[in-house]
Amino acid sequence: MKNSLQRIVILSTGVASMFLAGCASSGVQNPSGVPVTEMKADERGFVAGTGIESQDLVTVTDKMARSILGVREIANATSVPRIVLDPVVNDTRFPINKDLFNDRIRIELNKHSNGKVRFLARDRMKTLERERELKQQGAVTASSDPSVVEFKGADYFLTGKLGGMASRTSQGVSDYVLYSFQLIDARTSEIVWEDSAEIKKQGLEDAAYR
Amino acid sequence: MLRGLISRFRLTLFLPVIFFAGCATVPPPPSVPFTGDPVVDGNAHLAVAPARDRVLWEYRVAAAALRRGLYDEAKAKLDNALAAAAANYGQVNSEAAKSRRMFRNESDKPFIGEPYERVMASFYRSILYWRDGEPDNARALFRNGELLDSDTEDKTYAGDYVLLDYLDGLVSAKLGGDGADSLRRARENAKQQGRAVPPAYNPKANVMLFVEYGQGPTKYSGGEFGEQLKFFTPQSRIHSARIEVSGRWVALPPYDDVSFQATTRGGRLMDHVLGNKAAFKQATDTVGDVALIGAMAAADHGGRDADRAAIGLAAVGLFSKIASAATTPEADLRAWDNLPQFFSFAALSLKPGEHAATLEFLDASGAVVQSLTQSFTITVPAADPSIGAKMPDVVVFCSELKK
Repeated sequence: MKNSLQRIVILSTGVASMFLAGCASSGVQNPSGVPVTEMKADERGFVAGTGIESQDLVTVTDKMARSILGVREIANATSVPRIVLDPVVNDTRFPINKDLFNDRIRIELNKHSNGKVRFLARDRMKTLERERELKQQGAVTASSDPSVVEFKGADYFLTGKLGGMASRTSQGVSDYVLYSFQLIDARTSEIVWEDSAEIKKQGLEDAAYR
Repeated sequence: MLRGLISRFRLTLFLPVIFFAGCATVPPPPSVPFTGDPVVDGNAHLAVAPARDRVLWEYRVAAAALRRGLYDEAKAKLDNALAAAAANYGQVNSEAAKSRRMFRNESDKPFIGEPYERVMASFYRSILYWRDGEPDNARALFRNGELLDSDTEDKTYAGDYVLLDYLDGLVSAKLGGDGADSLRRARENAKQQGRAVPPAYNPKANVMLFVEYGQGPTKYSGGEFGEQLKFFTPQSRIHSARIEVSGRWVALPPYDDVSFQATTRGGRLMDHVLGNKAAFKQATDTVGDVALIGAMAAADHGGRDADRAAIGLAAVGLFSKIASAATTPEADLRAWDNLPQFFSFAALSLKPGEHAATLEFLDASGAVVQSLTQSFTITVPAADPSIGAKMPDVVVFCSELKK
């Protein structure tokens, strides 16, 4: 009788322990936070999703900048072509800072083209026009005749479009983004260069959210 | 002899109960002073909210801030919330995974909302993008919203927001694209849902008017153990709206019903998890009852073997009861509780200058609810003569729920 009872007591304690193990939380993960992790912009981070991210931006703009430099109209131009950036059109499901694409292409081209192209600061025209007005009024000094129009016109427009296609099932989401860029002759409307990059990502959501 | 053994056995059984009682305690939520200002109160709650509830409070504060015209605040909150929701794709969310366990609550998972709540976050943010002169980013979130609604159980209701399609197409048309497909989908969905059919696009429209009214859905639980997620929407006093701008009346019928969207999703995968938990809870409870009744019957029978059987059955019964009590099949009832029920929209073409506007809300009989009438001025700026300057649309957001 005593042995049987001991077995029951041991069994009871064991079962209780198992339940307790299930009930006990495993503790808060990273209770003190996570130290800042410096990453390269072209590196896929540990919080990556299916959206447009820095590694996509770097990959795409690097490819476009290299591609533009090889265009005959740029490489063999007798005078330095002037380019105006027209904002990229976002046709995906991801809101983005569109200027980043044009900005990075412009920076890469300015860095590596050795002056083969010049970009016009059309996004600063309000400030530039105000400065010209001040010069015309004699409120500030001018190194040339301010009444003469010296704002340059564009030889080319560089623009792009981000097109997207997405599907979602109870399993997760799939996103495809086509990044296309064009260099358009401002005089003839000819597309003198075009290139694209495409990225597809898929992600599975935890069942707790499905 | 037997009495002594039973006494010791009782002691053994009570020990785990004491342990369970200890592990069931939770720290009390910090008290937050109530001011009556939904933005102030919401931010105070957000400051002390556990990580799993942060998105919930960000949603609530964003809606209140948007109605107040605190656009930067609304943007910041929605950006945080949308980033948290988007990061779930392709990420291992250990807290969400734990919420599926037998002895954990669904509400332990970080809140990102049911699809209708996530759609509304996208919708509100898209209004703010449009207001900032980024209609294509607004369009991106209209599409994102439609995608979030695309995995319904019954495909009749997949991606069936009227306004999301309509506005997607309107932005495309304004940007020189073709919005015809989106317009067709919007109109088909409107007809299917018995709603007003949105008008043809006017790509020259320069004033976008968003209006919301009615109180949105709340969540409650059904089923024996509260394992079923259900929705309740109070009867809205307001059924429609209209606006008068510069002597012209424009109807603002409800194109989308948030309550309809919440209740036409069909079952969730999580409902199966909770259903299994409920079945386990029921089964262990029944086993416990049977075992304990068996134990009593055996004890009444008398004799050494019967006593042993009674003790064994009592142990099984007690642990089954403990397992049943510890199982948590309750559905997560956290809800974005300041959503509207209805959404409407109108695109107006107004000349530069100031335009007096009067917004009226109508009840079921079509009568104006005078106490809710709002008067304001729509200012359309003059064209910017700078080279390359573009004229952004004027976006006006009005809410019956403004506090």
